[in-house]
Amino acid sequence: MSDPARKSLLIYTGISLAAALLFLLATYATGISYPPVARTGGAVWVFILSMIITMPIVISYMNKRHI
Amino acid sequence: MKQTSIPVEGMTCAACVARVERALKNTPGVTDAVVNLVTGKASVEYDPEKVSVEQLVNTIRELGYQVPTGEIHLTVRGMSCAACVARVERALSELPGVLNVAVSLPAEAARVTFYPGTVTPTQIKEAIAGLGYEVAEKATGQEALDRERQARRQEIHRQARNMWVAWPLSILVMLGMFRDVWIFPRFVPEFMGNTLFLWALTTPVVFIAGWQFFVHSFNGLKKGATDMNLLYATGIGAAYIIATINTLWPGAGFGGKGATFFESAALLTAFIVLGRYLEALTRGRVSEAIRKLLNLQPKTARVIREGREMEIAALDVVPGDVVVVRPGESIPVDGRVIEGHSAVDESMITGESIPVEKKPGDEVIGATINKTGTFKFEATRVGRDTALAQIIRLVEDAQATKAPVQRLADFVAGHFIAGVHVLALAVFLFWFFYGYHAFFRPDSHFILSPYSLAQVGVFGFALLLSVTTLVISCPCALGLATPSAMMAGTGKGAENGILFKGADAVEATATLQAVLFDKTGTITRGEPSLTGVIPAPGFTREELLSLAAAAEKNSEHPLGEAIVRGAEKAGVAVEEAEEFEAIPGHGIKARYQGRTILLGNRRLMEREGVSFEALLPFVESLEQDGKTAMLLAMDGQAAGVIAVADTIKENVPQAIARLKKMGMQVIMITGDNRRTAEAIARQAGIEKVLAEVLPQDKAEEVRKLQARGLRVAMVGDGINDAPALAAADVGMAIGTGTDIAKETGEVILIKADLRDVVSAIEIARATMRKVRQNLVWAFIYNSLGIPIAAGVLYPFTGLIVSPELAAFFMAMSSVSVTLNTLLLKRFVPSMKRG
Repeated sequence: MSDPARKSLLIYTGISLAAALLFLLATYATGISYPPVARTGGAVWVFILSMIITMPIVISYMNKRHI
Repeated sequence: MKQTSIPVEGMTCAACVARVERALKNTPGVTDAVVNLVTGKASVEYDPEKVSVEQLVNTIRELGYQVPTGEIHLTVRGMSCAACVARVERALSELPGVLNVAVSLPAEAARVTFYPGTVTPTQIKEAIAGLGYEVAEKATGQEALDRERQARRQEIHRQARNMWVAWPLSILVMLGMFRDVWIFPRFVPEFMGNTLFLWALTTPVVFIAGWQFFVHSFNGLKKGATDMNLLYATGIGAAYIIATINTLWPGAGFGGKGATFFESAALLTAFIVLGRYLEALTRGRVSEAIRKLLNLQPKTARVIREGREMEIAALDVVPGDVVVVRPGESIPVDGRVIEGHSAVDESMITGESIPVEKKPGDEVIGATINKTGTFKFEATRVGRDTALAQIIRLVEDAQATKAPVQRLADFVAGHFIAGVHVLALAVFLFWFFYGYHAFFRPDSHFILSPYSLAQVGVFGFALLLSVTTLVISCPCALGLATPSAMMAGTGKGAENGILFKGADAVEATATLQAVLFDKTGTITRGEPSLTGVIPAPGFTREELLSLAAAAEKNSEHPLGEAIVRGAEKAGVAVEEAEEFEAIPGHGIKARYQGRTILLGNRRLMEREGVSFEALLPFVESLEQDGKTAMLLAMDGQAAGVIAVADTIKENVPQAIARLKKMGMQVIMITGDNRRTAEAIARQAGIEKVLAEVLPQDKAEEVRKLQARGLRVAMVGDGINDAPALAAADVGMAIGTGTDIAKETGEVILIKADLRDVVSAIEIARATMRKVRQNLVWAFIYNSLGIPIAAGVLYPFTGLIVSPELAAFFMAMSSVSVTLNTLLLKRFVPSMKRG
């Protein structure tokens, strides 16, 4: 894997994981008692959507910087 | 920097366009990439030092799209040994875009596989000719047609197969899901409601019919590009995974057996596949214009070689061949009649419905149909040089361009995907953290479904709305709206002998406010004709005409030729004068049947001492009308006046009147003197005249009109008026019908009929109307669908849109846009209506 590709992977995965973690923390912060499955399922869904949103943006940005 | 055009197959929407564009732009060495969905071409500007065509093709293929290859078979003469073969192979292999070369010495043939658009057959032939060999091409436009048809058939076949998998199984799944409601318990067996059974039915739907979406999404994501396949994949995938978890592990906390949305996953796939199938069926139809043109190409030709008539392939006709055409046959190539008379139906090329009379010396156009007599003609243009081939290339090129309005639509559609996922995330978070707790009701239902959502938990509910938002937001209709209409519009133009050189030309033509006509050759025929014969007392009209024609028989002056033509047309026998003398600046002096004839201007009569006062009022009146009055004297006595003028073409007043009715400002521009110009303008029905304008100043006049805020079209001769045509918002070149490639301007009118200016504007306006309608359709679907899918109505009604209903609406938006475009086929310009 080339350098910009590896950097991109790290960045968008990092952002998505952070978003999922943030979601997880928010489920505790609201005070509503969510079932564990809803918490983890929601975190997974947030992670997937965040990956989809950030991947093209990050890859495109890193490639441009590399060129 | 180099520019190349790569064909791309398998794109289905504007998001695909954005995806390919982004992937190409992200390739090191690429400075720009523009992808057109409808023509399936990627136009790439790249640095050949940093990236090769092969790498660009691989980039596209890695996204999951196909790049078709073309193949041409060449005859290469002059090769004598294996070294020649190696030389040719090496030279061709070095051309960017050439994939494979096979040269055969004994067969004197070369087969070259290449990416069409990246390198042209002409460049391949030039490379061989540059080595000193003779080369001829055997490929035809028919092959391109066959390839395109094959690709379309494959796509239809693939989606039909997916439909056969998806629909029967989905209907069974739906019956199984609803077996507890309404009348279903009476005839749906109990085992069909079993969730394991439903899971077994849904799995092949998702993983056979829906597999294409997962593959395309994954390939795109790897390249950092997203498209609508991703919307489908996330929608179908989420519904399927939740339903599977609730079936196999009901205690996992995702809503249990009551929240198995198998019909969502199955019907979602089925509707999307249906949309793809309908698109594949209808999309190809908008390029019918090109297909019709390609189908016009005759396969065989009857030529005379070595003194005998033989039938050969039309492709093997070479310039100079004498071709024989019998009644009812297609003319195989362009040429000039050398023997025989006939009437030829040229409607397929020029749009002219009345057959055109052909006699020796007249040009014939390949692919037109000989109606009445047998004639021979000499081939002048063959293969890729024929008018038909040029028209096909122009229409193809036009359909490969993007109109400004389309760039915006593509930009919106391209950025839509990321936006939709952001929206889906926002919808999920809203319903997860707030909406579910604030608004959830146990009597919740899907719209148009008796299916209850009572058992759905917070996660399942938020996920459902999130997935539905994703599915309904697909911008595919937005991406189809403009290019499909442009394709139909340019095709409609070609049918009527009007060639738009690009989508931007269509858009600009639709907004014109003023039309500036050149006079000579555009409004007028461009050559003088005999318009009047006024005999002096004691002479008859026929006698005067006979004397004038005899005197001018040997003249090569255009005015003289006009008199001879006019006499022949009037049925007067034209004999030759015994003596003939041209007097420059004055006229001619001739002897005919022992009499001295003078024909010329007033100066000639004064010089020869002929009194012509009695005829002077006629002369002045004719000159007032912009005509050239020539005095004729016989043996020193004034015999009459012959009037010659450049006459206006038929249908000009009709076309001008229609343009005015359309609200256009109509202006005539000419280098001619004001009196002549005004006389012609009067006949044409034009009030505003710009006279005595030098050719180089015509462009300045165009700019003056533009400075007044007008969008101006200049209609003129494509060669002489090139600067003015270029300066205008739309340059309309009056074509000669054969050498289209030479024409400048954005719009080419194949036949010199000014009614086509009206038709061009009407077609452009109809096309832009269609574009606007399509954009409204697409916009309405998305702008109404998204809020409803996101749950805006839920707090008031307890109803939400199911993912499969969202998929149905999404598919219908594309289909309705395509069907609306197809309505343009029925459009007939006002000047063509009977």
